[in-house]
Amino acid sequence: MLETLAQAVINGLLIGGIYALVSIGVTLIFGVVKIVNFAQGEFVMIGMYISFYLATQFNIDPLASLLISMPVLFVIGVLIQHVLIRRVLGQNDMPQIFLTFALSLLLLNLALMLFTANYRTVHTWYSDESIHIGGLYIPVAKLIAFVLAMVLSGALWIFLRRTDLGKAMRAAAQNRDVAMLMGINPDRVFCVALGIALALAGAAGSLLMPFYPAYPMVGQVFVLMAFVAVVLGSLGNVIGALIASLMMGIAESLGIQFVGADSGLIVIFLMLLLTLAFRPNGLGGGRART
Amino acid sequence: MRTQANLIRLLAPRLLGLALVASVLIALPLVVKSSFALDIFIRILLFSFIGVAWNLMGGYAKQLSLGHAAYFGLGAYSSTILQVDFGISPWIGMIIGGIVAMLASLPIGALCFRLRGPYFTIATIATAQVLMLIFLKFRDLAWGAEGTTIPNLGNAPLMMQFDAKAAYYYIVLGLLAIGLAITYRIEHSWMGYYLVAIGEDEDAAEAIGVNAPRMKRDIYMISAFLTALAGTFYTQYIYFIDPATAFNFNISIEAALVSIVGGIGTLWGPVIGTILLETTSALLQSWLGSSFGGVQLTVYSLILMAVILWRPTGLIGLIGEASRRLSRRKPVSA
Amino acid sequence: MADALVIKNMSKRFGGLQAVQDLSFTVRENETLALIGPNGAGKTTSFNLITGYRRPDGGSVSAFGREIVGLPPHDICAHGLARTFQVAKPFGAMTVLANVMTGAFLRDKTVGIARDKAREAIAFVGLSAKEESPARDLTTIDQRRLEMARALATQPRLLLLDEVMAGLNPSEIDQAVALIGKLSERGLTIVIVEHVMRAIMAVARHIVVLDHGQKIAEGAPKDIVENEDVIRAYLGSVTVHAPAAAGESSCSNSPA
Repeated sequence: MLETLAQAVINGLLIGGIYALVSIGVTLIFGVVKIVNFAQGEFVMIGMYISFYLATQFNIDPLASLLISMPVLFVIGVLIQHVLIRRVLGQNDMPQIFLTFALSLLLLNLALMLFTANYRTVHTWYSDESIHIGGLYIPVAKLIAFVLAMVLSGALWIFLRRTDLGKAMRAAAQNRDVAMLMGINPDRVFCVALGIALALAGAAGSLLMPFYPAYPMVGQVFVLMAFVAVVLGSLGNVIGALIASLMMGIAESLGIQFVGADSGLIVIFLMLLLTLAFRPNGLGGGRART
Repeated sequence: MRTQANLIRLLAPRLLGLALVASVLIALPLVVKSSFALDIFIRILLFSFIGVAWNLMGGYAKQLSLGHAAYFGLGAYSSTILQVDFGISPWIGMIIGGIVAMLASLPIGALCFRLRGPYFTIATIATAQVLMLIFLKFRDLAWGAEGTTIPNLGNAPLMMQFDAKAAYYYIVLGLLAIGLAITYRIEHSWMGYYLVAIGEDEDAAEAIGVNAPRMKRDIYMISAFLTALAGTFYTQYIYFIDPATAFNFNISIEAALVSIVGGIGTLWGPVIGTILLETTSALLQSWLGSSFGGVQLTVYSLILMAVILWRPTGLIGLIGEASRRLSRRKPVSA
Repeated sequence: MADALVIKNMSKRFGGLQAVQDLSFTVRENETLALIGPNGAGKTTSFNLITGYRRPDGGSVSAFGREIVGLPPHDICAHGLARTFQVAKPFGAMTVLANVMTGAFLRDKTVGIARDKAREAIAFVGLSAKEESPARDLTTIDQRRLEMARALATQPRLLLLDEVMAGLNPSEIDQAVALIGKLSERGLTIVIVEHVMRAIMAVARHIVVLDHGQKIAEGAPKDIVENEDVIRAYLGSVTVHAPAAAGESSCSNSPA
């Protein structure tokens, strides 16, 4: 019994790392640019398809394809900020919400048109391997994904804390006007924020490929997780998003193990609704009201 | 007096225009016999109605819900359960469905209105999904994932079943007329002003005595009620219901989309938006058939993006500019 | 004369910051009181506490004999307190007339009557020419006038004005001062938050000075300008000259 519990926790923790990459992106964009990126999941999907094609066409391991998917998505992020998002900043809610929502719809349905709804998988030598410790099975692919996810999160943390650009981003997040007075160019900062957030999404996609199928709707599941984690971890709070994502991964896994195979979604929604009902500001402090 | 004379002079062409449109609409089924064409018109009227219902809350008060499918589904399921399990006429079931939706909007609103902006929207998406999951999982409630068909009673007007497609056309036309009438009344009363004020700046509205929580709650109830009526109608029209259809996210999307594209917060905006989107959709279908999954939404999303980037107030602005020169009436919403 | 607004021991803390501490003062009916103090003193926070946008941690606020702590802003407005915001918040999509009508609807839900009342308020602040303009097209000053007209349309007994004079040139200040004077003549009780000394000296019968959330002085204008604590709060240690003229207060800063 304890073993089953521990196994479920491990499984949840590992996938939680991926959720973290996605939710950190969402919370970063929200904190800095002050918009909610409804399309974040679709960028995970794009990362997955990139890795899929690199794997099937050029035999590049998905983990190696990180080196390609991340920069590509970074550039996409910069473009999206500069071409699209910039135009709706300063307007009211409706354009801001529905622009990224439209983007999400567009990308998802384009993928549906181009790739069809079929599941695409990549099989690597480590896709089915597991490490055995005690009575526990730790899937290698998921473990690598988790470790790399934590590495990337850590790298982001260092970037935000130690580098000038990172500090500029945090400054712009806290007080855009004052940051501008200090000579910080908001558009540049926003571009970087979008770029990083999408790169993280792309990374999540590449890391997922060894053990998760790619299909047009795949982003929807992850973005839902991300939103709940962001709310739970408090809007704009990167560490909060990280911890909340790990918690949600574990909660989902426990739900699947002990309640039922399809209870994952219900657990997530329950967590969202409970958070909204009792702690709409999340657990990390800050306000949910825009 | 001069204002009255002016008013009549201004209104006359508009009323005339309205009468003209109304007569065309009423006469339409007599002229158009093609079942396929009638179906398109019914879809247009139906989604106009759903859009009008959404617009009351999302357009005027700017509470941008993407979860209205919840009420569509509740209406659909209420009337169907009453009909199939208890033999109650869908005419009654429709009203009961509306009431169920109204009641459901209270706790949902209480939860969702704690958040503003995009997080309100996300919360509404979540509630619609939760309802879908509930109806999928709990088979005792209502047939689970497979749903059910409505027993075909042939021509049974009292049970909202008709042989003639035109009958469905008139029903949904009536629903749209009701929705537009309600919107018109609200728009020109203190409620309209209050709703727009809340949509513009809730804090400022509160400062001048607007009870924002209560108004949001009330308009949500009305919006939910009307949306539920649409749910009942649609189920009767296609003789089938299942959670995926009744709580389909696409319904929530289109409800919002037609208003945004046509003219958010305006009386005719949802109608204009629906005409554009549904016509486009019908054209796409006739050109490409159903072979390309995703085409319709791709096109919808491109239209949405275009509107947001270039004309966020909606296409009605183009028409509005012309008509506003005729009318000196202060627009409540631009 | 009765008390329009009685504040007793009002406090509010935000995280580590004690924004308002133990604040007490009374505003008599038909009095014009100025709430002044350096930036960050807690003036706007006090307004937010009084008008129900934030809930005080402690203390009581009673308006016209009724305790209003805990009431939502719309109820407080219905009870007779109207406020303007430091940064004007017009309903941009509506016309000026529609904006003010929205305020008028508080007392009468009939469109015709609300329109008439709104027109009166608009005329009072001098915006009649721009009645049909969309509010978002107004200049900042006109937006402030709109704020005031909208607040007046709710037929308040007590008006709270948050820095309405900010950024106005001297002639505009005089106009605003005249407006406030007229309101006072109509029997309105007025509380203004202001930095513009000239206006304060012209309209205020009574002044309350805040610094770091606490009341440091209270009294008639001529006493306040000479009050050392007040001067110190604004300017640091200084040498004080007697006020050069009514409405002007001059102090020079000397290194101390």
